Amino acid sequence: MVGLSEGEKHFIRGGIAQDLRTDGRRRLQFRAISVETGVIPQANGSARVRLGATEVIATVKAELGKPSILHPDKGKVSIFVDCSPTAAPMFEGRGSEEFSAELCVALQRCLLGGKSGAGAAIDLSSLIVVDGKVCWDLYIDGLVVSSDGNLLDALAAAIKVALSDTGIPKVNVSLSATTDEEPEVNVSDEEFLQFDTSSVPVIVTLTKVGKHYIVDATSEEESQMSSAVSVSVNRHGQIRGLTKRGGAGLDPSVIFDMISVAKHVSRQFISVLDSETLAAEAAE
Amino acid sequence: MEYVNPLTGFRVDGRRPNEMRQLKGEVGVVARADGSALFEMGNTRVIAAVYGPREVQNKGQQVNSKDALVRCEYRMADFSTGDRRRKPKGDRRSTEISLVIRQTMEASILTHLMPRSQIDIFVQVLQADGGTRAACINAATLALADAGIPMRDIVTSCSADLNYIEDSAGGPDVTVGFLTKMDKVTLLQMDAKLPMDTFETVMDLAIEGCKAIANYIREVLLENTRRLECQRDH
Repeated sequence: MVGLSEGEKHFIRGGIAQDLRTDGRRRLQFRAISVETGVIPQANGSARVRLGATEVIATVKAELGKPSILHPDKGKVSIFVDCSPTAAPMFEGRGSEEFSAELCVALQRCLLGGKSGAGAAIDLSSLIVVDGKVCWDLYIDGLVVSSDGNLLDALAAAIKVALSDTGIPKVNVSLSATTDEEPEVNVSDEEFLQFDTSSVPVIVTLTKVGKHYIVDATSEEESQMSSAVSVSVNRHGQIRGLTKRGGAGLDPSVIFDMISVAKHVSRQFISVLDSETLAAEAAE
Repeated sequence: MEYVNPLTGFRVDGRRPNEMRQLKGEVGVVARADGSALFEMGNTRVIAAVYGPREVQNKGQQVNSKDALVRCEYRMADFSTGDRRRKPKGDRRSTEISLVIRQTMEASILTHLMPRSQIDIFVQVLQADGGTRAACINAATLALADAGIPMRDIVTSCSADLNYIEDSAGGPDVTVGFLTKMDKVTLLQMDAKLPMDTFETVMDLAIEGCKAIANYIREVLLENTRRLECQRDH
């Protein structure tokens, strides 16, 4: 995808070794982030996040559905990711499927917890309307519009903002619902309930280039990586999920080191994201 | 279903019968593409990105070496319609619209100036609220202009304007693509029965719309050029 000469590759690696990257950033510095909320009025919640030249849109749509038999007391959340060919010609046709699936699974791992729904970032029991009968199905869609590296972090940030922008319509259940028949449900057009998004994590990807690792790699830098570790951390500093990509092996001690660095970086990232979100909501 | 309220003379969304929706165009929205644009017509919102002219990637697709190869892909985001659905990529509707956009744009691009090269146009629908075809063609025109690709004229498109509620109700939908300076129709689609004389008025209405959109697109491009010039001077 990225065509680089030997000289350019050397320049990128040399810069990272000296803690001064090609765009003037330090190794653990993010690009400027900009956030916009409510970009897709048809969705219950939506957000656009730009990290440098990377741009993603996340939307949340809520539909009434039936809880699964195994977990009658929980709602359902599903995550889908699509890479638009506008981001890169290689995403044309079915070209984006594999890559989209990789991003999608990584996000599911960080946000949805285990099969039982335990450890999910969203409280699934808050999505229930009538126990065992009616629940909210949340569909989270991520769309990559422009790609310049670090898509996973941008997507996770956009989903976090979109969730905090989401209003679920208030539902009134008629009292006759106690019988075995389908309960009658009245969806309000005016009253909306906000989500508790305090435990929704962000993802910080540390990309290893040479001996060092960097955050928020551009696609040029990603082309030089040996491996990358994506750590998802919530506001309280808890690790919610972890994904390692790339072919090269990593020493276990390096992984522990990376996790602690990611935890440290995520604190700053969350506070920047929070203030941007507040500004975006005020502007809306 | 009545599209125009007989008492007030206004449509479902409060417009007059011949009133166009709010337009918004912006170029350079995808940083990595050679040219890109966002185009909004009311609630319909699409992004177009252009890559090229560049070397032909798949030699098998090259029909002749004298003209540039123009390719187009149309894609709808899963969240773009009112009710969320996951559609397979490359369904018939998308394939047909891709083809329509490609043919319309090919008519205005000076392909003979760029032999042995390829131009890719990708359009992504973010929100569909009627007239996506028209919005896609307008976005593609802006993106091609942003990429600096030589064109005969600005192609704009306007469907004799029906928003989604009206569209789903099965009203006549006439989409026209128009080369404004050359006064030529490059695209014409209609999917309903309509008396001949009504068709003439509808088509005139659509052409008027195309002209208005062309004026708007010129304004956007001019504004962008001014901004670029300003940046160069500093």
